[in-house]
Amino acid sequence: MESVIAGLIIAVIKILVILGVVLGVGAYLTLVERKVAAHIQRRPGPMVVGWHGLLQPLADGLKLMTKEDLFPRYGNRVLYNLALIMALVPATLVFAVIPFGPEFELFGYKIKPILTDVNVGLLLVFGLGSLAVYAIALAGWASNSKYPLIGSMRKAGIIVSYEVAITFAVMGPLILAGTLSTYNIVEAQIEQKLWYVWLQPVAFVVFMFSLLAETGRVPFDIQEAEAELVTGFTVEYGGMKFGLFPLVEWYVEVLSLSAIAVVLFLGGWSPINIPFIGFIDPLFFLGPLSPFVWFILKVTALFLFILWLHWTLPRYRIDQITEIAWKVMLPLALFNLVFTAIIAPVVWR
Amino acid sequence: MIKWVIFLSFSLWAIISGVGVVLFSNPVYVILWLLSALISIAGIFFVAGAELVGALQLLIYAVAIAVFYVLVLTAVPWEKALKKDTHFRTSGILSLPVVLLLYVEMALVFILGIAASPEGKFREAIKKLGNTEVIGSVLFSKYFFAFEVVSLVLLVGMIGAVIIGRKEKQTYENDTP
Repeated sequence: MESVIAGLIIAVIKILVILGVVLGVGAYLTLVERKVAAHIQRRPGPMVVGWHGLLQPLADGLKLMTKEDLFPRYGNRVLYNLALIMALVPATLVFAVIPFGPEFELFGYKIKPILTDVNVGLLLVFGLGSLAVYAIALAGWASNSKYPLIGSMRKAGIIVSYEVAITFAVMGPLILAGTLSTYNIVEAQIEQKLWYVWLQPVAFVVFMFSLLAETGRVPFDIQEAEAELVTGFTVEYGGMKFGLFPLVEWYVEVLSLSAIAVVLFLGGWSPINIPFIGFIDPLFFLGPLSPFVWFILKVTALFLFILWLHWTLPRYRIDQITEIAWKVMLPLALFNLVFTAIIAPVVWR
Repeated sequence: MIKWVIFLSFSLWAIISGVGVVLFSNPVYVILWLLSALISIAGIFFVAGAELVGALQLLIYAVAIAVFYVLVLTAVPWEKALKKDTHFRTSGILSLPVVLLLYVEMALVFILGIAASPEGKFREAIKKLGNTEVIGSVLFSKYFFAFEVVSLVLLVGMIGAVIIGRKEKQTYENDTP
């Protein structure tokens, strides 16, 4: 009985930590994005609120909260609000299967820094991740307006196309690891002394393309397309409701998919890897904290990479996006899968 | 005990969603009820310990297939969505015997299937190997022929979709002066 209660308490603490970190970091990433964008474009960015604009997210939050809550006159109120919930919930649920570090012991209890280490964690990630399309489709339809509907339909088309590519792309690392559990995939990489990006560069590239497409980042941000669609499906939303969609799409989802990319291709919490020889840890002086720092560092690096793309590249046309998905990415991922499936059992085991 | 409570709540949720699918006339609500039904069925799979099937239910049905219904939204103008009457009332009544026949067939297959189901046969193997591995090995050994036949059916469907969706180059060329 005592162990059950302890397990429950640990689970609740994990949930609170994950929710707090994800939503708090998500809010502060808005500042990071604005600063990075500003420096890419040779301007200082937010400087007024706090030191170098450090309090800007709070000010933005306050502004969004106190704004009038407008609702389009002929919209559908139930679906309009349901869309918000359906955007936020699956995106944060994905973090339940992301392992942040190795197992450690605290007060005699063994704790895995992952909420639920299920056998099919990776499938859940993609199942939940693409539930986001419903939120966007609903937001577009319930607003009863032209721009949102066009934006949401574009997004639905993109997600349908890239969901296929991303699922086939992750099959390569799966074959090498031989498991669907995210925690065990990282452990397999540490055991084999190999980040899978060295053997699966093609899968990694396809994964990154799909990440950009699913989260609506440039060059695939056709559903927002400020110039033609104003801001796509968020046109009729105001105040904090408006703020929630970019928060979920651009920050929470990017974070979760970057974390999955780190888990699948960059060895999770393991330090710098030399293929087949071992790991070098320049952060050894941090002791047991070093794996967590490595995980955060890798996710941050990926996130900054995505920001860099976002603020330098132009935007694709919708037909180009779907063409890339079906004619380039899917065949590449399929070829990679077949190649891995043929070679891996011969060389690997 | 707690397992039963969770199972019953998921079942209740699934039945309510199923009724919702039938009763609502607005296609958008129907899609949402269908989604809710599919998710609750995934929950039932999880309760039963079939993790892989549950995750696939979520991934394939709730996401990959139901998403295509979302694209229907483009074809649903607001005025139509709010209308209560339907076009296919007579056709619905006429097709009732066929539907009943199909239900009887489903019940028959279900009853026959209980007799043929390998209940408990794979329990030991699942404990030793894990869900995914057991499904893979059974699918590619005992049920290999059925699996291939099903994939052939899917291939036929895919060819049909490609034929329907292909561009007719000839007509466009003839139009240009």
